Amino acid sequence: MDWLALLDEPGHRLFVRALLVCVFLGISGGLLGCVLVVRRMTLMVDALAHSLLPGVAMAWLLFGQSVIALLVGGMAAGLVTALASGLISRLTRVKEDAAFGGLFAAMFAGGVLLVSSTGTRGDLQHFLFGNVLAIGTGDLVLAGAVSVATALTFAVFYRSILLECFDPTFHRACGGNGMAVHLGLLALTVVNLVAALHAIGVVLALGLFMLPAITAYLWCDRWGTMLVVAAAYGVAGTVGGFFISYHTGLASGACMVATLGVGFVLSALLSPRHGLLARWWRPHHHHREESPDVCDT
Amino acid sequence: MSDALAFRNCTVCYGATPVVHHLSAVLPAGSLTGIVGRNGAGKSTLLRAVLGWLPLTTGAITLGDAPAHDARERLHYLPQRSQIDWDFPVTVREVVAMGRHGRVGALRRFLPEDEQAVDGALRELGIDSLQRRQINALSGGQQQRTLLARAVASGADVFLLDEPFAALDPSAATGLARRLRAWAEQGRLVVVVAHEIDLVRAHATHALVMNNHLIAAGPVGEAMTDAHLAAAFGRPVAVR
Repeated sequence: MDWLALLDEPGHRLFVRALLVCVFLGISGGLLGCVLVVRRMTLMVDALAHSLLPGVAMAWLLFGQSVIALLVGGMAAGLVTALASGLISRLTRVKEDAAFGGLFAAMFAGGVLLVSSTGTRGDLQHFLFGNVLAIGTGDLVLAGAVSVATALTFAVFYRSILLECFDPTFHRACGGNGMAVHLGLLALTVVNLVAALHAIGVVLALGLFMLPAITAYLWCDRWGTMLVVAAAYGVAGTVGGFFISYHTGLASGACMVATLGVGFVLSALLSPRHGLLARWWRPHHHHREESPDVCDT
Repeated sequence: MSDALAFRNCTVCYGATPVVHHLSAVLPAGSLTGIVGRNGAGKSTLLRAVLGWLPLTTGAITLGDAPAHDARERLHYLPQRSQIDWDFPVTVREVVAMGRHGRVGALRRFLPEDEQAVDGALRELGIDSLQRRQINALSGGQQQRTLLARAVASGADVFLLDEPFAALDPSAATGLARRLRAWAEQGRLVVVVAHEIDLVRAHATHALVMNNHLIAAGPVGEAMTDAHLAAAFGRPVAVR
């Protein structure tokens, strides 16, 4: 590919902007995804992503493309869903997952109604599935800021995040503030979801978080390595998907998530330690030590 | 060296329901104490109260002269092995290094002394050759030793273990009991919640028999009589 010629094209600003957004979202999606995978929060985050729609739709109706308004709207909707499901599960016989599931479906439907009542079919499609070539400078700045904030958080609080994910009880016994780590990561997740809204849309956003992380999970036996591999694969998958979309004209968000998905499926089959083929090839292999348990002094 | 862990008239409630009633006992330094009783007798609740996770409705728990929950750096709580996700992508060394978290804090970097403490703990538990392994590539006994090494690395001298013998095979359980006894003989204070009456009787120095309230506490021979165990479990308990 002739890169210089590409940059001379009329749409090159959009192209570069989209490419940068892919890199930013790939990094932060990969990092956060690792936490969501090991804490088994994937479906909860899918529900959270859907429940943001009425908030961002309301912000879009009132303030247009304002990035700050979208962020505030998304945060508010996420907070309402989380608090309301907490209240319902505490005050009624409905359990928390059911309360969350019910609310997210209702919130998502409300969001779809809000967008379709005033916008065009294209607007609705944009919210649901995103279009990385239609993002503005504000979205790029938001994605960059969110990505840097996410990477910095993981760098500075590396040990606290690891401990809270691995053994929250022990983290608490050490005097760590598990609730602060949990809420901080949840807040980062919401701002990342809002940042990913224009590029990928609410329906597919989960793929950006989960696929790099579960792919890395199949290859890595160390937390630090898993974070780096997930972020790197997140960037590779989103950028690769973007190029496929750019050259084929297919939907960008779907191309990115599908590209990431191919790597995941291949990893699930071929990973030398945790893949299906490895398990099939070594049916009698035991990971565990065959030597007797010795705990003697 | 550790001082005595003393419970004075302790009552702990979950909501309005008292789970531990007016319990008083003294666990001396250099002892291995087994807390025994039926399910729901308040054994784990008592450990959680020591850590300050559950408030006392009445009474006080002290370590030496200070309230126990103020002596956080001296206390180390070992969760049940089943509470750990052994598939987690983390190595033996990384788990043991977590033991330093209480002293190092969230932001400070590891110093050479922290690395030395981790090395020492790995050596003491005989798992230094396994330190680069992912934790699921270990046997049950080795996994338990990894958690014990984390406890040693923390620099604590009072250890609270919640059902450490659960799901260990008999030889590993005996090995663990011997190791805990050796810790006590080194002056550490070790408290174990256990269902394995035989192991406690064979290896512990002290026992605390409870059924929400205290039935007996003291040296094993005095506290774990057939009458006390029958009172705790509501039926005669056969001990080999």
